[in-house]
Amino acid sequence: MTTESARGEGGAVRRSLIALIPIVLLVGVVSAFLATGGSLVGLLGQNPPQPDVFDIRRVEFEPGEIRIKVTNPQTDDLTIASLTVDDAIVPFQVDGSKTLKRLRSATIVVPYQWVEDDPISVGVTSSNGIETTEDIAAAVETPSATPASILGYGIIGFLVGIVPVALGLAWLPSLRRVSKQWLSAFMALTAGLLTFLAVEALAEALELQQSLPSPLGGTGLVLLGLAATYLGLVLVSRRFSARGSGGAIGGLSLAMLVAIGIGVHNLGEGLAIGSSFAFGELTLGTFLIVGFMIHNVTEGIGIAAPAARGVTISFGRAAALALIAGAPAIAGAWIGGFTGSDLLGVLFFAAAAGAAFQVVIEVGRYVARTAPGGLSSPHVIGGFVAGLTVMYLTGLLA
Amino acid sequence: MMGDAVPAPGNAGALDVLTYPPPALAHSPGRVRRYDLAAVDRDIEIAQGVTFPAWTYNGTVPGPVIRATEDDTLLVNFFNGGSHPHTIHFHGIHPSEMDGVFQVVEPGQSFTYQFPARPYGMHLYHCHATPLKKHIHKGLYGAFIIDPPKPRRPAQEIVMVLNGFDTDGDGENNFYTVNGLTFYFAKYPIRVRRSQTVRIYLANLTEFDLINSFHLHGEFFRYYPTGSGDHFEYTDTVMLCQGQRGIIEIDFNNTGTFMFHAHQSEFTELGWMGFFEVVD
Repeated sequence: MTTESARGEGGAVRRSLIALIPIVLLVGVVSAFLATGGSLVGLLGQNPPQPDVFDIRRVEFEPGEIRIKVTNPQTDDLTIASLTVDDAIVPFQVDGSKTLKRLRSATIVVPYQWVEDDPISVGVTSSNGIETTEDIAAAVETPSATPASILGYGIIGFLVGIVPVALGLAWLPSLRRVSKQWLSAFMALTAGLLTFLAVEALAEALELQQSLPSPLGGTGLVLLGLAATYLGLVLVSRRFSARGSGGAIGGLSLAMLVAIGIGVHNLGEGLAIGSSFAFGELTLGTFLIVGFMIHNVTEGIGIAAPAARGVTISFGRAAALALIAGAPAIAGAWIGGFTGSDLLGVLFFAAAAGAAFQVVIEVGRYVARTAPGGLSSPHVIGGFVAGLTVMYLTGLLA
Repeated sequence: MMGDAVPAPGNAGALDVLTYPPPALAHSPGRVRRYDLAAVDRDIEIAQGVTFPAWTYNGTVPGPVIRATEDDTLLVNFFNGGSHPHTIHFHGIHPSEMDGVFQVVEPGQSFTYQFPARPYGMHLYHCHATPLKKHIHKGLYGAFIIDPPKPRRPAQEIVMVLNGFDTDGDGENNFYTVNGLTFYFAKYPIRVRRSQTVRIYLANLTEFDLINSFHLHGEFFRYYPTGSGDHFEYTDTVMLCQGQRGIIEIDFNNTGTFMFHAHQSEFTELGWMGFFEVVD
């Protein structure tokens, strides 16, 4: 070892130690502040009491019984003192302690002869008398995971996810025959409908995060889910382009990317349908399923348009595209129907928005490169607006 | 719900002092009746496991029963040990300077109310400091009985003050009670003998949802509005606005367990329900 390299190593160690100084100081300042026992806050006045509001996460109905899952979202302990159903005090039992520490959950079991299909409200009152109520639109027995209900949610997911995408993909041979100009219009239509899905999913994620306990930081979660998926797909598309021509991607790779984006979206859509149905907020009528199907057929066209250029796609590949885009709806319906987690809902919709935005960028690049007249040609603009319009109009059905 | 399964706070006997009034005294014009009342801020358990930051007279909601005979001189020493200005406003006939409206008593201050007790009947007292709604629903009220010069027939006497508690400040009551504890008389039924008249001094001091009622199962009773005359209604249900009160006299025909409750189902299921246990 030469003296110079030794000096170099010593310098690196010293630089690392210097980098640690702010952390050490931070620990010191935080400890000093904590040691005052909050008396510094006393300079500002008195801390207001905690609101004592429970987070009612899930209300399940079994024959002769209501089960309520609650979480303590505040820093102070929270005690379940009294329980009401439709403004009447009822006897109840808690699995475990009635006093919940921060972010701890409990299930309250109430023997109750609830009335099928009637609106109902449950109220959880803390030891300080603060009541948190949850209104349920209609009391229906919460589906448990029986073979029949697993099959049922599976069929719903299949109908609103795979079927319409596959039908849309069936336009692939026709799309192969259209002119370059019209194909670019269809590609723009894909971008339009994906933009629509992205905004829709983002709005859904932001709305849903409001129902999460505030310590979970709902908006931050939406941003994280959106950014992670967006950047994840950036990596995926880079691998596609490296494998292919090396430049911007097109053809099957782009179709695959669109299918992934739509698949992530359908995961969220399936979850929304599943949990809304499980909580009695949604009548899963024939009309609604038909509405979702028509709405989602346009997603199939979105995948078919980029695949129309380049090599012929085998039936197997087309089926794979339909599965990638549609099958997540089945998984979503299961998750939504059997767990109904708002947290997953937020993450799924945020991911859907991120995926859709990324795919819009990818499609946009492709259209800019291949469309006669570029992005500002009437076909592209018209196609984009048509994509938004079609999604809006078919969305009215669902 | 009955007995130990009932979610009621307090032990057996906890409400005895508010439920069973001191005895009536014979008519003796000019006799002085002294009472000491202090306003005290106190957290009280009003439903099982639920505490309410109350403003009380002498530590309970409702406050102690004040009883005098017509033509007694009432001398009520009031000390405000609370954190807000308070008063005592008695219902009845008295001079304006004893009305407990203009003589606001600041925290740490005292005031003596002195006036002749009249007219006979079932009355009430409550704080009249503003904001009125707040001072009443926080718990500053109680029963005030003036006995007639000619004594009433002997009876098993009971006081029932109907009230509510808005524990989460949304202007709606979360709990309704008789004498301050939800479902208390469902857990500990009131034992009475069939051979003797049961006399209930009933007053409504419910805030927010002002109309309250009393309904008795399996029996009829005589209801004397305000208890200030001889006319009565023979019924099993009476309705009272806030501040309304009266005297109920029951001669039970049967032994057994009889429910009494507000004939507002909501109030019943939020704590205002109990039982008489009639024995021979």
